[in-house]
This record gives sequence, C-alpha cells and structure tokens, in this order.
Amino acid sequence: MKPEKKYLDAFPDERRGWPLFWQSLRKVYSFSFFLGKRSKRSRLFAFLSFFPVLLSVFLRVEQAVTADASFDGLYFFNNAILLFALQFLILILAVFYGCSIGTEDLEAGTWAYLVTRPIPRTALVIGKYASSVVVMALMVGTGIVTSFLILNFERLGQIFIYGLLLKDLAVIFLGLMAYTAFFTFLGASIRRSIFFGLIFSFGWENVIQYFPGSTQRLAIIHYIKSLIPLPSTGRFSFLTFRLEPTRPLLAVVDLLGITIFFLTLASLLFTFKEPRVED
Amino acid sequence: MSLAVVTEHLSRWYGNVLGLSDVSLEIGPGITGLLGPNGAGKSTLLKLITGQIRPSLGRVTINGQPVTGRPELFFNIGYCPEQDAFFEGMTGFQFLYWMLRLHHFLAERAGLEAEKALRLVDLYDDRNRPIKSYSRGMRQRLKIAQAIAHDPEIMVLDEPLNGLDPLGKRKIIRLIRDYGREGRLVIVSSHVLPEIEALTRKIILIHQGKVFAQGDIHEIRDLIDRHPHVVSIRTPASRVLAAALIQQPFVVKAYFGDDEESLLVETKNRDQFFRFLLEMAAVKGIKLEEITSPDDNLQAVFDYLVGKG
Repeated sequence: MKPEKKYLDAFPDERRGWPLFWQSLRKVYSFSFFLGKRSKRSRLFAFLSFFPVLLSVFLRVEQAVTADASFDGLYFFNNAILLFALQFLILILAVFYGCSIGTEDLEAGTWAYLVTRPIPRTALVIGKYASSVVVMALMVGTGIVTSFLILNFERLGQIFIYGLLLKDLAVIFLGLMAYTAFFTFLGASIRRSIFFGLIFSFGWENVIQYFPGSTQRLAIIHYIKSLIPLPSTGRFSFLTFRLEPTRPLLAVVDLLGITIFFLTLASLLFTFKEPRVED
Repeated sequence: MSLAVVTEHLSRWYGNVLGLSDVSLEIGPGITGLLGPNGAGKSTLLKLITGQIRPSLGRVTINGQPVTGRPELFFNIGYCPEQDAFFEGMTGFQFLYWMLRLHHFLAERAGLEAEKALRLVDLYDDRNRPIKSYSRGMRQRLKIAQAIAHDPEIMVLDEPLNGLDPLGKRKIIRLIRDYGREGRLVIVSSHVLPEIEALTRKIILIHQGKVFAQGDIHEIRDLIDRHPHVVSIRTPASRVLAAALIQQPFVVKAYFGDDEESLLVETKNRDQFFRFLLEMAAVKGIKLEEITSPDDNLQAVFDYLVGKG
C-alpha cells in the first residue's frame, strides 16, 4: 500500500519534475549535511581550517614579544590569512569534498540506497554539493572570523571593519562554490580525481594566475583575487604579483557562471553513473 | 492498475563481458524467486529492474512505465541490495529515519515508521547502537528494514537471507511470505535452493546471463531430484551408519572423508535419505554432529542441468 499523502512532504502528480525535485533537494541537503558534519573528513579539515587562528595567535605573540608598534592587524589579515584561505585552504577542501560528491557512495556501496528513492539524480548531486559547500564554509568561516577578531582586537569598536570581514567571507564563499562545482564535475568524470584535482589546484591554478594578459583568466583564482584588496607593496605583495583584475561585478558573474556550468555538467554525468556490478 | 514488472529482450554487457542476455519476463503479484549460482546475472537483472543500471538492449517497465528517469516510481518500490554497505557512522534508527526522510516522509512520521520497521526485524532494542557495532545478521535485517519501512507494493530483495542465523532466517521468510500473501509483488534472489523453496513455488532459474527455466518449483525440483546429491555427515559412528546406508536403494554410494568421522553419501532421493537418516539416529542412538549438503549450492545443480555434472 502506498503511504498516505498526509504522511509525505512531496507527492508525485501529473506534472513530473519541479515539485519533486525541490523537495528532494531539501531532503538530500539535510541528509548530506547530517552526514558531513559528523564525518572523519570534516573533523580533519576543521582542524586544518583552524590554522589561520594559530597563525594569528602566533603573530599576536610575536608582536607582544617584540613590542612592535607598527603592527597592523588588518594588513596581516588581508595579505596573509585571507590569501592563505583563498590560495590553499579552500582549494584543498574543495578538492576533497568536491571530488567525492559523485564517487563516495559508489565506492562505499551506499549508492543503491540513494538511487532507489523517489529522488531525481540531479537533486542528489546538487543537494550533496550544497551541503558540502555549507560544511566547508562553516569550517573556513569560523577560522577566518576568529583570526580576524584576534588580529583586529584594538579595532573591534570600528564598524567599518565588519563590512570588510563580510566582504571577505562572501569572496571565500564564492570561491568555495566555484571550486567545489569544478571538482564535483572532475569527480564525476574521471578516475583518480583527487590526484588530478591536486595537480590542477597547486599546478595550473598557481602558475596560470601569474601569466600576463588574458591567460590568467583561465584560472578560477584570478576571479577570486579580483575581488579582494589590490596587491600591497609590503612583504606579501608577491602573492598578487601581476594580477590584472577583472572588474568586481564581472568577476562575481564569472564565478557564478563557472559554478552553474560545472554543476550542470556534473549533474548530467551523474545521471548516467552506474555502480560496479558484482554478481 | 495491477502490479507488474516486465522486461523485454533485456541485455546488458560490461565491455566484452555478457551480464545478461535477451531476458524477457513478466512478473506479477506474489513472490517470485530468482535462482542462480553466483555470477549468473541475478544482481544485474535486479539492478536493471530498479533502474540502477541501464540496459544495453531492451527495456524494463514497472506498472507499464519505463523505470529509467522516473524517480517517482520509487515511492512504491523497496530495494534490498546484496552488498553489505551502510553509512557506518549512523545508528540503526538514524539510518532508517533518513531513508524514510529521503522517501519524503514527514519527520515525525519517519521516526514512527522507522521504529515500526525496526520492530518487524527484531532490531528495536538495538536501534540506538551504531551500525558498525552490528553483527552480520543484524546488518542484513537492517537492510531488509530499509526496503520495507515505507510499505512498498513492489519489493526487490537481492539475497535477503544471506548471513542470517536460522532463527532470523525463519522470521524473515515469514515476513516475506506475508507480503506475498497480501498481494504485493516481491522478487527475491538467492543461490540457495532451499531458501527459495521456503518462500515460493514460482521461480525463475537464471544461468550465465540467460533465463534457463521458469515456472513452478516442483517442475524444477523434478529435474533437480534426478541429480544425485552429496550429503556430508559428521558422526562418531560413521562406519555403522555407512553399513546401514549402503544397503538402501536410494543411496548411490557412500565413502569416508579425510578423517574417520566424516562420511559422504551420494543419494538420488534426498527426502527418503533424510527420513532414513533421522530414523537411524533416533532408533540406534547415533549421534549426528554435523550434516552439510555441498550440493545445495546451485552451481552443482546447474552444472548437472546443463550437462556438465
């Protein structure tokens, strides 16, 4: 006997598609978030995401020991912490979370439980993607906000710094969205995607961004860096060396476009994914 | 609409390897047993029926609708996979709760239905234990619970009795038979003949990716019963037993195993043989330590039926 309508959130009707899709998306997101926040991987990466806090504490202690009066917390935050988060942390997180979205259930054998539910496969990918981005954003965001507060302790009364923090968090979130979408696609399309993802992250992305002219626009990091404060002349200026930024609004549109493009491709590929049959 | 799973000229290759070849079936309400040795193509067929994999040729319909790309069909389908895989960090209750949530049950209702299903498979008392601490049999029962928790009309159970202890097996067999009696469509696969016999008379024999025979189990049984069966008996009185057995017309031969206590008997009538064996044990007080039947593995039967035996 089919469960009665009153027991269900969604119920199929003649119009296939959207209502079931959105209901499914919510369910997959909640389920995946429940799993994600408790996973060993999240615990490990939460520890890594705490690194900016350790670095901030170290800088504070160094300042206290050397009694450096010229210490500028905002400068350190923008040029060391933020760039560490954007050039390393979100990349490594996105590689491991993104590549596993399309493969972990296939490899673990839990795939059958998911694809034999009244849930479109596209909703499975997008729901898992969304929960991964949120889990990563919470991890990175917690570390970033804490380190921001540590480094700008003297300025906590100045309202404008919170605007800067919000902007930086938004950039991190956009970066996570774009990278995770790309790695979701990579995970759905090739084997050993984590290996190739790491090569892409710390090879391609780290090299192409320093090419002059239009070539640097082939790296996702280019659009992310176009949204953060321009290169300083201080000791961290090498990190934004040769950046020829895209206009901020266009950079946001490009990042969203990259996200939608790769997520669509990943969803299409996922529709045709099959488990290995051991009969 | 009456329940029906229909496959039309269904074939599936894995590269150059044939998984299933030209399988056309019409399965209706009640329990249908899918029998075949390991590697016969049972899981491939069940994965095709549940839309997990796509056919290379042919098509599958459930209640008249093609299964691929129609997730709403799964409101009414329960699938128990063969593979022993779970979201290990969860408890039994959490697993069922979330499976029901993914079936679009409201949160409160999902909790109630999860508890109900856990009771049905005798896991209620262990509901808050992590799945990774469950025994093999408990994990198997949990897999069955997730397939039945949403009360589907169609159940596809891939080797559901694997790893269950005799008591658990009996309980699950009773449960599945009840579902069959209620008019639900249940497909159960197994490579163990007595398991399927205990469930249904309607069977499909599958071998090397092809449907080998289909129909009432008694017809198949007749074929199988002509096949001499080997029964292994472990008893301290192996010589006494061998002397008595060899005089019986239904015993083809009897020989000793590697040690003094194991006796292997080949019989052409299993029912008569077991009746006689139990009588001997009761009347002469012969202690039977272990009885196993290597031929219960269907591979031997199939080898016999296709002429290799």
